[in-house]
Amino acid sequence: MSFVRFALRRAAEMAATLLTASFVVFGAMYLAPGNPASFLLAGRSASPEALASINAQYHLDDPFLMRYLRWLGDILQGDFGRSITYRTDVSRLLADRLPTTLVLIGMSLVVVAAAGLLLGRIAAVRGGAADSAILVTTTFAVGTPSFVAAVLLQGLFAVNLGWFPSSGTGEGGFGDLLWHLTLPSVALALYLIGMLARVTRSAMLEALDSDHVTVARSRGVPERQVIRRHVFRNSLGTVLTTGGLIVSTLLVCTILVETAFSIGGIGQLLELSTTTKDFPTVQAISLIIVALFMTVNLIVDLLLPLVDPRVTLGSRSAAV
Amino acid sequence: MTTTPPRTGRRLPGLPGRLGRLRPVAAAAAAALTSVSLLAACSGPPKENAGGVTDVRLSPSTPEAGGEIDSFTWAVYAEPPTLDYTVAFDYPQNTVLSNVCESLMRWTPGLTTEPGLAQKASNPDPTTWVYDLRPGVRFHDGKEMTADDVVFSLGRQSDPDNAAAWAQVFQNVASITKSGPLQVTVKLNKPDSQFPQYMATAAGVVASKAAIEAAGKDYGTTGGLGCTGPFRLGTWNKGQSIELERFDGYWGKKAKSKKAVFRVLTDPSARTNALLSGEADGGYLIPTESYARLKNSGTGTLYFGEGLSTVNVNVTDMQGPLGDIRVRRALSLALDRSGFVKAGLGGAGTVTNSLTTRAAWAAAPERTLKTAFDSLPPTGQDIEKAKALVKEAGATGKTLTVATSSIGQDVSLLATAVQAAGTQIGLDIQLKTIAPNAFTALFTDPQAREGIDMFPLTYYDSITDPLDLLQNFKTGAYMNFAGYSDPEYDKLVDQASAVYPVEQRMDIEAKLQHHASEQLLWIPVAEWPTALFMNKRITGAPTTISYMYYPWAADVGAAQ
Repeated sequence: MSFVRFALRRAAEMAATLLTASFVVFGAMYLAPGNPASFLLAGRSASPEALASINAQYHLDDPFLMRYLRWLGDILQGDFGRSITYRTDVSRLLADRLPTTLVLIGMSLVVVAAAGLLLGRIAAVRGGAADSAILVTTTFAVGTPSFVAAVLLQGLFAVNLGWFPSSGTGEGGFGDLLWHLTLPSVALALYLIGMLARVTRSAMLEALDSDHVTVARSRGVPERQVIRRHVFRNSLGTVLTTGGLIVSTLLVCTILVETAFSIGGIGQLLELSTTTKDFPTVQAISLIIVALFMTVNLIVDLLLPLVDPRVTLGSRSAAV
Repeated sequence: MTTTPPRTGRRLPGLPGRLGRLRPVAAAAAAALTSVSLLAACSGPPKENAGGVTDVRLSPSTPEAGGEIDSFTWAVYAEPPTLDYTVAFDYPQNTVLSNVCESLMRWTPGLTTEPGLAQKASNPDPTTWVYDLRPGVRFHDGKEMTADDVVFSLGRQSDPDNAAAWAQVFQNVASITKSGPLQVTVKLNKPDSQFPQYMATAAGVVASKAAIEAAGKDYGTTGGLGCTGPFRLGTWNKGQSIELERFDGYWGKKAKSKKAVFRVLTDPSARTNALLSGEADGGYLIPTESYARLKNSGTGTLYFGEGLSTVNVNVTDMQGPLGDIRVRRALSLALDRSGFVKAGLGGAGTVTNSLTTRAAWAAAPERTLKTAFDSLPPTGQDIEKAKALVKEAGATGKTLTVATSSIGQDVSLLATAVQAAGTQIGLDIQLKTIAPNAFTALFTDPQAREGIDMFPLTYYDSITDPLDLLQNFKTGAYMNFAGYSDPEYDKLVDQASAVYPVEQRMDIEAKLQHHASEQLLWIPVAEWPTALFMNKRITGAPTTISYMYYPWAADVGAAQ
């Protein structure tokens, strides 16, 4: 398949998915109980004029489809609307909070990739006691929900040892931010490290068993080279395909980890806006999450042919 | 008056009017994308058991600060969505705003009212209030306060396009006009005893007309607030922290700290950890499950103060079995109030048979108190009597539904206590667990209350007047979810609203209190004090709920 056709197909797929997701989220919000106006009024009774005015300002009385289409039209013009709860433009809300979440997820991703691949590789290549030890540890990691991990890490490293701050993102520059996000990113990564280590291990074991490894060894290729060139590289494709799964897990779990560590990022904002039925904010964040997820899938699809010559562009359908 | 908005997830217990945090199992969007198996990766936190305290005494105050400090950090459980005073009707925003924006009158740490930006409030006739302003008061933008600013600031509260949370306070206001360079006259349609008291809350805030107009749509979310308080708004690091800087042009007593930093710590255990580690120097609204930990930590002192808050079971359906007063009485008799206080309020609270706190009656003479508090239904348990009442009402075996949510222990454990009580006396009590965001909707959406007979509700007064709570049972009142209607009661509410002399008014309110408690329109459970923690570095904050509208941070300074 040519690259142009592939790109066009993926672009169309992405647009369709975003549209569907936005419709589903908007509909779910619409059906949930409560009215944003009442949250706006902090649950106090309001004069009919005040209610009518809010409803008019935010078009809350319009029929569902009309509201959805109005919102869609605004988005296409680059206008995310105005948050009902925060009384400010959604784009500003996002600009204030998105960077923190992206740094957190980015850090976790690095931790997951480094630790997961390394452990999986050691377990597969060394076998024996190392393998058993890693299996036990990863079982523990996979069984620990990130919220529990957050509480444990906080208790041990922040409260008892005082090595890391227990919450927030700090007041200083980027270094301070990384410092504050260390524990949260580890909490977020723990489950995925376990998962990735196991995927890597089984993929490498499979590769180790394959014929061309036997052939390479019989030709006297040094063992380190065999592992690097044949085994590790062949298993990379399998590992890469879990990328989408890893990122979507990070996106979901960041909500809980941000809460546990009081990091005011997108996760926490989503949680709060869902509570108050802040339509414009929830919609914007949902779209960003879906877009991120799809982007990662796209990157995986573009990288696969590079690491695994047996795969051609677009032959793995997007796992959305 | 109270608000009862959203309250949320694992935060502290139940504060009416809280925009809370919900504990997301997964947000809608994420759920749409992610397979359920993934969610096992980050399922919610386990339930904690209460770590309560015993021997709780209320402190009238904390030791006065010895000297100045450069800065102190305060933990708040949520970020104010905006600091526009017209929508400041919840703990987080009021805790911050009270130090930046001041009102015509001032609520004191002793919960009395004294002059604020108005040096005098006079009442020449029942429908007129005249406020003489303090001269020489400067806003944070350097301009001097005039009557025009007052007229403009109060006007925003009743502007329908502005959706002010305080609009109701102004329901009887006919006009607010400038009657002199430093004088404002408020004309009422009818006498209103609550209005002058509310001028000590955020309803009476005065901000600079120029500053508000310059900020336009973004007032309250970006830039300054153009107010007069001892602190001015500094850096607002969205989602993280709000810094206040000492305002050197303040007309009153200079703040003892150069800076006050409010850190948003949404997770209760994160908040507790920050207090223990010194990342935060203090905080109000301590999670009940952390009382014991903080008290015994040795890092600071846990104080309790008067909160004007009661925890109740709000009856929402009088069409069902609860429409029979005998069933309500039976439930009240069977409820293990002291067990609930121990578990649900961390031991800090007192069982009560009154919907209003005693402190709300501070201005009432002894005989009025007797009327208000004597011969109320008992707080102790009497299962046998309760059983007999249920039988007599023919309600044995009938089903009642109580709503519960993982919002805080005050909600979840009270719902469980109601269930236990009902089960013992032959009622079939169903718990209906609702997601935190839907729980919020109970206050605002009649549809959300379908099929629910009652739910736990914590209510706080914004002014030191029992009528704030008691007017909720007037026909058509906003929080009158059960649709209770009694012309006699309505008449008394109107009377009390129209009487200014406090002793006379409280005589009428005592009758209302007696009636509401007798009828068990809500089932009163406990008085709930405020909790305050300060570490050894600082002292001076008031212990009472006055911090909602009093510039308390100006009193915080170095401990000796």
